[in-house]
Amino acid sequence: MPNLFLLVLQIAVVVAVCRIVGSLFRLIHQPRVVGEMFAGILLGPSFLGWMAPGVSAYLFPPNSLGFLNALSQVGVMIFMFLVGLGINPKELKSHGHAAVLTSHVSITAPFVLAAFLSLYLYPKLSDDSVAFSSFALFMGAAMSITAFPVLARILTERDLLGSRLGTIAIACAAVDDVTGWCILAYIVLLIRSAHSASPIWLTVGGLLGFALFMIYVVRLLLRRFQTIYERKGGLTENLLALMLLLVLSSALLTEWLGLHLLFGAFLMGAIMPKEAKFVRYIVDRFETIAITLLLPLFFAFTGLRTNFGLVNGPEMWMYTALIILVATAGKLGGSMIASWLAGMPLRESAGLGTLMNTRGLMELVILNIGLDIKVISPALFSMMVLMALFTTFMTTPVLEMICPDRILRARVANVSSHAPVSTMALESSDGSAA
Amino acid sequence: MHSNRNFIVAYILLVGLPILGLVGILKTGRGKAAPISVDGTWTFQADPSRLAALPCGKSLTTSDLAISQSGGSFTLSVPNSPKSTASGVLVGTTLKASLLPPSSDDTDCVHGRELAFLATVDPIAIPRSLTGTISLTDCPTCKPVEFRAFRRAPAARGGH
Repeated sequence: MPNLFLLVLQIAVVVAVCRIVGSLFRLIHQPRVVGEMFAGILLGPSFLGWMAPGVSAYLFPPNSLGFLNALSQVGVMIFMFLVGLGINPKELKSHGHAAVLTSHVSITAPFVLAAFLSLYLYPKLSDDSVAFSSFALFMGAAMSITAFPVLARILTERDLLGSRLGTIAIACAAVDDVTGWCILAYIVLLIRSAHSASPIWLTVGGLLGFALFMIYVVRLLLRRFQTIYERKGGLTENLLALMLLLVLSSALLTEWLGLHLLFGAFLMGAIMPKEAKFVRYIVDRFETIAITLLLPLFFAFTGLRTNFGLVNGPEMWMYTALIILVATAGKLGGSMIASWLAGMPLRESAGLGTLMNTRGLMELVILNIGLDIKVISPALFSMMVLMALFTTFMTTPVLEMICPDRILRARVANVSSHAPVSTMALESSDGSAA
Repeated sequence: MHSNRNFIVAYILLVGLPILGLVGILKTGRGKAAPISVDGTWTFQADPSRLAALPCGKSLTTSDLAISQSGGSFTLSVPNSPKSTASGVLVGTTLKASLLPPSSDDTDCVHGRELAFLATVDPIAIPRSLTGTISLTDCPTCKPVEFRAFRRAPAARGGH
């Protein structure tokens, strides 16, 4: 039984610290999510545990973290549903060669560089229970991810959604996320099947069957939600509960099939109808609790697992610097070169590369999965969290430096006068974006 | 037409070749060796009377040890005693760690003294086992205590 007093106290402290630090970060023109990620670190052993070990031990005793984790996973599940909901395949198809080349290079460049770095890091930060291929592929997937909700927030704040830069960035980020999650699914499958009693073909077959059933059967049924919404101007509580039940069922099925429940939640969001008003309506219903209450718990849980004390000594800090350098060179450099070769002006290409280098919460989700399946060690997890914080934090100031507003606004193209559907998910009115 | 050709060339150079490179990296990486895995929870066995006789040894009268490994370094902790944690290194099959015991009523456990772990891991044994000694630093007269440990919860890790 959970200690209810302690659990409520933990939630209250986490929500309060996340809101305060998030608001402080807004003052320095950073998205709130960057502050909330930072707040999670402050509550963990890297700060609170170090500054006030007694308070930390009282507030977050190890045997209480299971309940906090369970709640945070529910939050991430809803978040992944909303991320999937924000992805619109039609937008991905409409940006021509530049977007195709840029998005694919923005995956392959950091992926290959990360795999190359793994040749150096594997003997130093891993152990013989992890195969090199799993380690390298995971590092590749973790470094090639882009957090499009944060990216969308930054573009909205800078009024760049209608610009060529904005639309290509959103399309590329969506492609990156879908690809990144597919690669991660493969890695999780590979790792879990090695310890599973059932043969891998059964798991793969089951997952393929499930995905096809979702895409060709469930998706048609989901259209009913949109039809009812259009007819009545809203959905009843029963219908919203049914939708939530479908998300949970999909998540449970992917977990049962040997993958991870977040993939099921993401898939359910991805196959939902994409009419803009309907998407906005669903996002409004689900995001308040997920973003203001449950996601801060995820940030806190991640912070509690992050121990910068493990990154001790100049050698470990050099590995961290290398990880940040490779992640940035691969993502920023790769996207920039590809978009420049595809005909984008150099300054805009650099801006696109900077935006694509934003990793945000998506990176933390992937890293937590990596730590759960033990493909990365606690020290490497902490280094990668630092990389996620650094690359997300640097986006706004670097973008302002290389692409000042006055230049970009002058180049706003007539791509679209409306915000893409994908940008609607996870943009709260107070500037939060996960 | 010209634009399509440029796109195809750029795509092959920037996407196709790196993917071939990735295949090469994965093949090269197969030959890489990582430190032996010691991560997990271990059942600790030592003579309790000898441990109790060792200054600062009372903090170790437990049946469990938890090791959290990151490559060649690890942290060793005594579950339910969050203050008893040690940092250590793994060289080959040898583990070395120093534990700063928590404050206790043990008068011989002078502040600043450390318990030194020295153990060898048997990589072939199933479950994986450790054999070693625990001694007190700066105490030549204190007799080291021998111990054995067996990994109870092996790290369910990836890909092997």
